[in-house]
Amino acid sequence: MKQNTSKTKKVIGWVLFLVANGFFCMQIGYLVFHERFQVDYVDNRLFYIINIVCLIILTLAILLILPSTRKLITIISSISVLLIIGHVVLLISSNNEIKNITSISPDWKHVLSIKENVESGEAVYYRSYYGILARPKEVLPDKKIGEFQVEWLADDVGAVTYKAANNTTQQFIATYGDRGSGISYYYVGAQTHGNWQGDNIELVSGPEGIMVTDNGETEMFQWDDIDQFGTLAIVLKKNGEAAWTIALQENFQVDTGTVEANEGNILLYKATMEKNEPIVLSKS
Amino acid sequence: MKRYLLLGAGVMVIALVIMAVIYHQSSNQVTLPQSALLNNSQENSQEELEQAQPEQIQPVNIDEAVSYSLQNDQLNVSFNNGEDWVAVPVEKDQLFVGEYNGNGQELIENSYVLMEDRTGFLYSEGTNWEAQQIVFLYSIDQGETWEKSVVSESFLMMRFRKVDFLNDEFGYAIISGDRTMSQEYSVVFLTHDGGKNWEETTYTEVTRLISDGGFVDESTGFLSFGTINPIEPTLYVTEDGGNTWNQASIHIPEKYYGVFVIAEPPVKEEEQLKVLINQGPNGDYAGGLVKGEFISSDNGKTWNFSEEVPPDEAEHE
Repeated sequence: MKQNTSKTKKVIGWVLFLVANGFFCMQIGYLVFHERFQVDYVDNRLFYIINIVCLIILTLAILLILPSTRKLITIISSISVLLIIGHVVLLISSNNEIKNITSISPDWKHVLSIKENVESGEAVYYRSYYGILARPKEVLPDKKIGEFQVEWLADDVGAVTYKAANNTTQQFIATYGDRGSGISYYYVGAQTHGNWQGDNIELVSGPEGIMVTDNGETEMFQWDDIDQFGTLAIVLKKNGEAAWTIALQENFQVDTGTVEANEGNILLYKATMEKNEPIVLSKS
Repeated sequence: MKRYLLLGAGVMVIALVIMAVIYHQSSNQVTLPQSALLNNSQENSQEELEQAQPEQIQPVNIDEAVSYSLQNDQLNVSFNNGEDWVAVPVEKDQLFVGEYNGNGQELIENSYVLMEDRTGFLYSEGTNWEAQQIVFLYSIDQGETWEKSVVSESFLMMRFRKVDFLNDEFGYAIISGDRTMSQEYSVVFLTHDGGKNWEETTYTEVTRLISDGGFVDESTGFLSFGTINPIEPTLYVTEDGGNTWNQASIHIPEKYYGVFVIAEPPVKEEEQLKVLINQGPNGDYAGGLVKGEFISSDNGKTWNFSEEVPPDEAEHE
C-alpha cells in the first residue's frame, strides 16, 4: 500500500515537473517572440504570475519525486518562498511603472488591454490575440490624468472613459466585432438614421448630425464632432470633450444592401467619470 | 537520478529568475504601435529640420501695444513690436487647461491683459483636476519680474475666463466652470491692489452658462448669461462692488423680442450706460449680425431700446 502511494506521488511529481517545463518553455518562447514580433502579454503582470506558478509547480514536483526529509522540505520551500516574494516585488514595481488596465468581455471572448506609462501619462490600447497575447494597436488620444473607467456596452464593445490632461473627459471605444457581413465597412451614424427612444431620453440621427434630448435638455452634435470606432460605436463630442457614446447592441443587424431600416437596439452611454449604465434605445 | 533532477530544477529556477530580471528591465516602456512609431520618426526628423534653422518669432497679435507669440510652445511677449522677446514663465499647455475648444495657436480671448505697464495671464494649474488653482501671472515692469497671485484656491474645470483692469489698482476676473450640460458655476473676483490679492464677490446663484461680463467702475459690474438659444437677455448688475447682484430689467420692444437675446458687456457713455444686445449664434434678423443698442439712465438697473446698430458700427463700438 505504502509502495503504491509512493509510486503515485512520483508519477504526479514527474507530471508536475513536465508541466513546469512546459511553462518554462512558454516563457522562453515569449521572450524571443516578444521582441521579434512586438507581441506582449495582455497584462505585463502575467509574466511574473506565470513564473510564480512555474516555481510553485516545480517545488511541488521536487518534493513529490525526491524522498521527503524535513531538511529537504525546509530548504526547497524556503528557496521557493524567497523567489516568489522576489517575483511579487518585481510585479508590483513593474506595475508602478507601466500600469495595466485589463478587462474581460462579458462573454469571456475578448480582453480589453491598456498599458499606461505612469510617468509620461501615455497610454496604448492593445488588441488581444489568443486570450493572453496582445499587440499595440493605438495610442490613446490625449495624455490622461486620474483613473480609467471601463464599461462593456456589449459583448464586443468596451468603452474606456478617462480624464485627459487638459481636464476634458475623453472616451475611447474598443470594438471586436461587426453587425454586418464582416467584409465591408459601414458608418454607424448612417446605420442608426432615424428617431430613437429610451427612458426619458430621445435621440434623433439626421443629415445635420445627432440630437440627444436628455430630461428635456437638447444637445446637437454635428457630424464633424462625431468619431467612429470600428464599425460598432461612435463618440459624440462637444467642445473637444466626449459627451455620449452610441453603440450597436448585439441584436442590431446591419444590411448595407437594402434601404430598409435596420432592426435591433442601440445603446447610449454617457461620457462621465461617474458610474453609469448604458441606456437601451429602440426605434420609434 | 536525484542529482540530475535537482540540477535540472536548479537550472530552471536560475533561468526563471534571470528571465524575470531581464523582462523587468525591458518592460519599463509601453510598446508603441507601428503607426505611432512611424509618426514619431517623421516628427523627429521634422524637429531636426526645424532645429537646424533658427526661427524668428512672429507675433500673433499685431494691433496691440504688447505683442505675444506662442511659437515653439512657449509664450513670449514683446514690448517693442517684436524686436525683443521676453519669455513668460508658464507652460503653454497651462494656458489652455479647462474647457477649451481651440487649436492653441492663440491665447483664449479675454484671458490676458496686454498693456505696457501691466501684462498678465489668467489660467488654472495644479495636479488635481478636481481642484485646480486659478492663478494670475503678471508683470508690471515689462517682463523683468513676474508675480503670481492666487485668484481662487480651488476651482473645477474652468470654462469662461475674463480678466481686465480699469486702472492700476482695480481689476476683475470672471470665471465659470464645473459645467454639466448647460448649467455651470460662475463667480467674479475683484482686486484692489493691482492683482496681488483677489476677493470673491457674492455668488449670483445663476447656473446658466455665462456669456460675458465686466465692470464699468469699481462699484458697477455686469454679468450676462445664456449662450445656447436664449429667448431673452439675462443681465445681472451690481452697484456695490459685487456684494449684491440683481437682475436688470431690459425693456425689449415687441418687434425685437426673441431677436436680441445676448447682452454684451455694458459701457459708460457720458452720464448714461450703453449695452449692445446681439442675436446669439442662431440669430437671423437682418442677416443675424445687427445688434440692438439699449440705454440705461439708472446705473444699469433698467434698460430701454435706443436703436439698431448695423454690423460695421457694432464692431467698432
